[in-house]
Amino acid sequence: MTLPDPSFLVIQCLNGLTYAMFLFLIASGLSLIFGVLGILNFAHGSLYMLGAYFTHQLVSLFVDTPGQFWWAVIFGSLAVAAIGVIIERFFLRPLYVREELNQLLFTYALVLIFSDFARIIWGTDQFSVSRPAILKGAVDILGQYFPKYNIVIILLGPCIAFLFWFILLHTRWGRMIRAAALDREMLGSLGVNVSRLFTVVFFVGAWMAGLGGALVSPVSAIVPGMDVEVIVNAFIVVVIGGLGSFWGTFLGALIVGQVYALGILVFPRLSLVFIYVLMALVLIIRPWGLLGRPLQKR
Amino acid sequence: MRRLLIFSVLICLAVVAFSLPADAAKKPIVIGFPMWLSGGGGLFGQPSAKGAEMFVQEVNERGGVLGRPVKLLVRDCKGTPEEATRVSKELILKDNVDFLVGGLSASQGLAISEVAKTEKVLYIAPISKSTRMCEPPRLHPYVFRAAANTNTEGRSAAVFMAKHPWKRIATIGPDYEYGQMCTQAFVDWIKKLKPEVEIVHQGWPKLGETDYTPYIAPCLAAKPDACFISLWGGHFVTFAKQAKPYGFFEKVKVVAAGEGGSPETAMALKDDLPLGITTNAYDVFYYPDTPEHKDYCERLKKFTGEKYAPSWAITGYVATQWLIEGIEKAGSTDTMKVIKALEGLTIQTPIGKQTMRAKDHQATRGQVWGTTAKVPEYPFPIMRPVEYIPAEDLMD
Repeated sequence: MTLPDPSFLVIQCLNGLTYAMFLFLIASGLSLIFGVLGILNFAHGSLYMLGAYFTHQLVSLFVDTPGQFWWAVIFGSLAVAAIGVIIERFFLRPLYVREELNQLLFTYALVLIFSDFARIIWGTDQFSVSRPAILKGAVDILGQYFPKYNIVIILLGPCIAFLFWFILLHTRWGRMIRAAALDREMLGSLGVNVSRLFTVVFFVGAWMAGLGGALVSPVSAIVPGMDVEVIVNAFIVVVIGGLGSFWGTFLGALIVGQVYALGILVFPRLSLVFIYVLMALVLIIRPWGLLGRPLQKR
Repeated sequence: MRRLLIFSVLICLAVVAFSLPADAAKKPIVIGFPMWLSGGGGLFGQPSAKGAEMFVQEVNERGGVLGRPVKLLVRDCKGTPEEATRVSKELILKDNVDFLVGGLSASQGLAISEVAKTEKVLYIAPISKSTRMCEPPRLHPYVFRAAANTNTEGRSAAVFMAKHPWKRIATIGPDYEYGQMCTQAFVDWIKKLKPEVEIVHQGWPKLGETDYTPYIAPCLAAKPDACFISLWGGHFVTFAKQAKPYGFFEKVKVVAAGEGGSPETAMALKDDLPLGITTNAYDVFYYPDTPEHKDYCERLKKFTGEKYAPSWAITGYVATQWLIEGIEKAGSTDTMKVIKALEGLTIQTPIGKQTMRAKDHQATRGQVWGTTAKVPEYPFPIMRPVEYIPAEDLMD
């Protein structure tokens, strides 16, 4: 086969990068919650879906407000975070002492509840949100068009990654979060309010899922079922990168995004297969993920 | 004692036997209508169900058929063939429907057709287009199609493309039954009409894809003159919105099958609907200008309470019309008799005469094709010029 013009390769890499940034936002929240709370949150994708639906709702509500899209993103994602706090405080807390299976079943039940909830409120139509006015157009990259909005997303991803890395490594909260991931009993006996810490972590994780959903709304269709699709991809990302590892999630998202985008360019019909093959390979060679640590017995 | 028992059983049987015909005269004829009502398919599935509901209501208002009322059971069968199978089986076994009309995607049509075959229930497909459904070895006596098929759709696009001096042609179609069959029909026909044409790229996003951007650059990279797109309904809406900022519609001439020209799509896209693309629809409220069609659109507007008559209602309307006129001609609801009656039957639909071919149970259903343009009369783009391309010449 003939190789395509290099400019298209660049565009396709950028497409992959955009996708990777969304995956990163969602998967890092998933990974954070697992790392600290030890809960594999199936409902993370549902929070992402709610973020998208809330944004759609708020955009139509703020129709005459300047900067409506950004307000919708902020309030939409914060509303999702608030729902996350309610879930953690009232439902997950009693489950920490139970078996992991109970927790899994509970978060899975949440997936079903939220998906029906969305169907009841927004029906089954598909929605989309317009890009904010200043980012409507496209920029010229090597003679090809690339949407401005996607560029903002690509820049936003590393900013958020850096911010989190900084918080985790250089602040008191970050140290407590890392300590909680290692040994929560010890942290509690040192006088740290662990349950408050858990709520904060769940808030942040849910907020990232909501933010992912809010930001994806102008570039993707908002449909019932987007929750399950994204959670599968987020799991692939954390499996490849290493569950609970922050930079692993970042790497995993980059890899999945590029494999997906370039896969379409080379073998259009097999693009989805590549990702699963990659995941299977990682599971065979490094079951704990590229940057993860092997699980230790606690 | 024993004799008494036998005697009473016989009496009971006699009572049941005598009461049955009397009961049957008033018992409604039940039609099961599984339809994709949620998600990306809902844009088309919902109006289709509305069309069927309106037709059934009109039949009941004029006294039903064979003196019996008609009852329509509409059920959501989502987007998958598995769900279509489950819902239609449930309709047959639990709700005891007499006939099935419904299914949206091509694979759903095939799935319901299989159910119809095993359960021996007459099934009319209003929308599903896969040619394979009405071809051996899949064809069986119980399945009929009121819809156009992928051959008609792909081939009419090819006829249009062949009129232009485009040589490098790309295709983008959803990777399932309909997309594959439609694209295949298009590619085969255009190569027959114009052997010098080169297919430079084929994109296959999965059905229900929410992000088409990774498929856009590879298509542009192949530098096609024109692209044949068979994404339908909400999927085309999503695609058009996402492809626009990449300059897709400026760089490539687009011929889009899958009802990009239906007012539902146009209303959903408004200014995002690319202008100047060639596309099709099952029906549009502004064409043709015949009294029957105008009257139909008026009735539909009243029935749905919408400002513009939805275009996809015609699919459910005509499919149910086939069934009812078949029953009328047969003078019975006996499945085999209705099948015989339908074969070769010609009916007057709101968009003109159509015939159900006896050889493959396929209606001679063409489609409306046109070029999208902005006009002062409507707040959304319509197809202008627009014409009905009949199916007769394009069918095997």
